[in-house]
Amino acid sequence: MSDKSGSEHTGQSHRDWMRHPAFLGALIGILAAFTQALLISAGGPVAYGFCVACHTRDLVNGLTNIVAGTHLALAPISANAVLPVMSIVGVLIGGYVAAKKSKEHKIRKGTNLEYAIYFLAGVIVLQLAMIFGGCPYRAALRTGYGDLSALVFIISMAAGVIAGAYIMLKWAEREEA
Amino acid sequence: MVAVGILPKDIAIYAVPVVTLMLGLLIGYLAQRSGYCSIGGFRDFYLFRHTRLLSGYITLILASFVGYLFFWFITPAAMDGFFWANTNGLFTAIPGAPGGLSPAAYFLFAIIPGFFIGLICVYLGGCPIRQTVMASEGNYKAAWFFVGMAIGSIIFAAWVSGAVVVLMKSIGFGV
Repeated sequence: MSDKSGSEHTGQSHRDWMRHPAFLGALIGILAAFTQALLISAGGPVAYGFCVACHTRDLVNGLTNIVAGTHLALAPISANAVLPVMSIVGVLIGGYVAAKKSKEHKIRKGTNLEYAIYFLAGVIVLQLAMIFGGCPYRAALRTGYGDLSALVFIISMAAGVIAGAYIMLKWAEREEA
Repeated sequence: MVAVGILPKDIAIYAVPVVTLMLGLLIGYLAQRSGYCSIGGFRDFYLFRHTRLLSGYITLILASFVGYLFFWFITPAAMDGFFWANTNGLFTAIPGAPGGLSPAAYFLFAIIPGFFIGLICVYLGGCPIRQTVMASEGNYKAAWFFVGMAIGSIIFAAWVSGAVVVLMKSIGFGV
């Protein structure tokens, strides 16, 4: 994949470092710390600069509370602020702009069964992430903050990935045989 | 102790949506360009010994430590409880999960959800951020995953959060 897109972008090699995941990892880490230093007076928790699951929860529950007058739980920083954290809105727009600019935006449809599986998986992953108190990204931030239980989460997640990849490998071998 | 940041509270409450939106735009743009994925990092390393994606996740952990350490020197009042293991006990979890349970409960909350998030997301082909970015690229399956997370947020706050606490207390993980 990287080879193909690399050749599409000849002449932009000076910006290749921007396309390396390590650059984004470093950027999120530093900016998450900066965001906390800047905004923590609005409310906690700490190590909350970026989290896909928690920030989606804050966005949905925060807006639902404003529109429908409910009292769904969300992080103090989002409950105290005039609007909840908007990072997920940013990710959706940023991803869309990047995909359009690089002509990688393409409607990819699936079957209704696949939609149902992905929807259900989204619900379940959100429950699991909220029980832990973060998605893989907040787990990384919490580890950086010194929360070793988050490191346990990451190791356990890696074990889950390996188990899942192993099972899928076996499925693929069985289909070939 | 109440943490105090660079911005006073009456300004910070207006800055929260603005700053997080800008951060999200930057992350979304670069995540699309780089194919950033935490689950994919472990998967590619296990299956192919590729380190590209994994380097992104490892760098995030290290950079966040450096970032928090840096701002702990500059604005210590904003870095409440840093370095957590040192100030709060070795495996004490940072708040965020449903409250009022014993430390052992939060240890289980790290192990069990961690394993199943890894298992489910490797099957789907990406972690939550990868799904969100794929949704913005026009992938309908990933968009349904995102809708699932959104509906799941309300389900969690309305029912699951309370049920998990009741369940954990009934099997002896109360405080």
